[in-house]
Amino acid sequence: MEKSTSQRIRLGVFVVLGTLVLISALYYIGNRQHLFTKNIPVFAEFENVNGLQIGNNVRYSGINVGNVSKIEMLAESRILVQMMVEESTGKFIKKDAIATVGTDGLVGSMVVNILPGKENLASIKPGDTIASYSRIGADDMLSTLNVTNENAALLTSDLLKITNKILEGKGTLGVLVSDSTLAKNIKQTLLNLQETSRQTTIAMSKINRELADLNIDESLAGTLFKDTLSRNRIENIIMKLDTTSSHIAGITKNVETMINRIDNGEGALNYLTQDQELVQNIDTTLFYIKQSSIKLDENMEALRDNFLFRGYFRRLERQERRAMKKAMKD
Amino acid sequence: MVASNTVWDNVKSFFEEIGDIAYFTGRFFREVFKPPFEFRELLRQCYNMGNRSMLLVGVTGFILGLVFTLQSRPTLMQFGAESWMPSMVSISIVREIGPVIIALICAGRIGSGIGAELGSMRVTEQIDAMEVSGTNPFKFLVVTRIVAATLMLPLLILLGDAIALLGSALVENIKGEVSFLLYFNQVFDSLKFSDLIPATIKSFFFGFAIGLVGCYKGYYCSKGTVGVGEASNAAVVYTSMLLFVIDFIAVFVTDIFFGI
Repeated sequence: MEKSTSQRIRLGVFVVLGTLVLISALYYIGNRQHLFTKNIPVFAEFENVNGLQIGNNVRYSGINVGNVSKIEMLAESRILVQMMVEESTGKFIKKDAIATVGTDGLVGSMVVNILPGKENLASIKPGDTIASYSRIGADDMLSTLNVTNENAALLTSDLLKITNKILEGKGTLGVLVSDSTLAKNIKQTLLNLQETSRQTTIAMSKINRELADLNIDESLAGTLFKDTLSRNRIENIIMKLDTTSSHIAGITKNVETMINRIDNGEGALNYLTQDQELVQNIDTTLFYIKQSSIKLDENMEALRDNFLFRGYFRRLERQERRAMKKAMKD
Repeated sequence: MVASNTVWDNVKSFFEEIGDIAYFTGRFFREVFKPPFEFRELLRQCYNMGNRSMLLVGVTGFILGLVFTLQSRPTLMQFGAESWMPSMVSISIVREIGPVIIALICAGRIGSGIGAELGSMRVTEQIDAMEVSGTNPFKFLVVTRIVAATLMLPLLILLGDAIALLGSALVENIKGEVSFLLYFNQVFDSLKFSDLIPATIKSFFFGFAIGLVGCYKGYYCSKGTVGVGEASNAAVVYTSMLLFVIDFIAVFVTDIFFGI
């Protein structure tokens, strides 16, 4: 039963090695190092990684698909992060996917979130670099929050003033809030409105009844409503009326212009209508013309009796008589 | 040359010892399921290891919970998170601190006791006498002790955890004016089976390691009365180390199955 020294040593070595293998296997499985899955390297450049460490998870659409395997400083504010992503999920990551550094929970460790790209682009290949944007740091957020707080303080002080005024009954809102008479008036108005609407409802129902009773097909209104031919005619008439009225408007305008001119003393008509002397002159002229025509009449009578023109007048008389006889025969 | 020989000898003896413990473990598993079973001796050992360690475990656990809570308070107060105290203390005690501290205490008390007892039996040739008289000394002395330690440790650890939480509740009651009822409500709200089960399984292994190393060191004790002291000392040292290795492995296993 007694074992030899070499046997005991070999068993000891075996136990120690076995324990070490067990511990390392548990460590790798426990940390989900993806030992047994095929991984592809993917790169992303950041300005600020917010405390990202090697071994932090990489998430794509919220699923752990790998982890950060290397963080390298390339230049000032250029940090290259290498991620090992499972090949099986890598085919779903498109070339326009965006990597961001986020936090796992409120105070949890950092994670790299890969946001999905558009579907029509090709999938990433091993060694590809995807776009990234660095998250706003807590300091920036706090400074923005500070400005917001200051604004909020100003706003609340203004609001306080306004509410104080309202409480004191100043301003329109104050009156609205504190004036009981106004409230009563508004209440009364509302009651009146209610009554009016009630009456309107009754009136509307009456109108509805009347309309229902009216035999609309046989009336003029019915014709107007239903006959499309009449409607076209009426439309034509109205169009023509429209044209006519526009013409009338033009004429009226012209007349107005003319009257204005006349009033202003421009043109002959004004001279004719407004000048008193002209009227007298015309009157005198007419008198003279009358006198002259009387005298001309006398002269003509004398001329007829003159021997030189007597033959001509006799010929005229003869022609007239002939024409009368012919007319009587017809 | 002498130095390299010494290093090589040390390495050799280290692996030799590990190999011996492995053989010893193998022998234990062969013997444990083979009748006849020494129930009376087992019960006596359980009483020795369990009941007689209760006071030690109780006092240690109480002080552990008390001090842990007192030390954590200022830090949690900085965050205004005193209300998290019950859940934080309960989870850390039940999961890790309770089992490890109480196992270490038991390694000191039980491991050294077994080592000294078996060692003195070996050097006074009582074990040899048993072998001569036809009784299986391994079965009667070693198997019963290892089984008793394996069974008693989880119970002692549960007891220690409970008393540690009581100590913590006392501090919270005095300092934070939290009633016992509220404290334990919050404790049981935050504790899950995934906290308790891995810790309990782990404590079986702790008990097994304490019994095994103690028995091994005592059973193979040599060099007279000096050897007895060495055996009990080595039992405690080796057991403590082994406890941390087991704890280390247990954490990984727990992470895989329960997710820490």
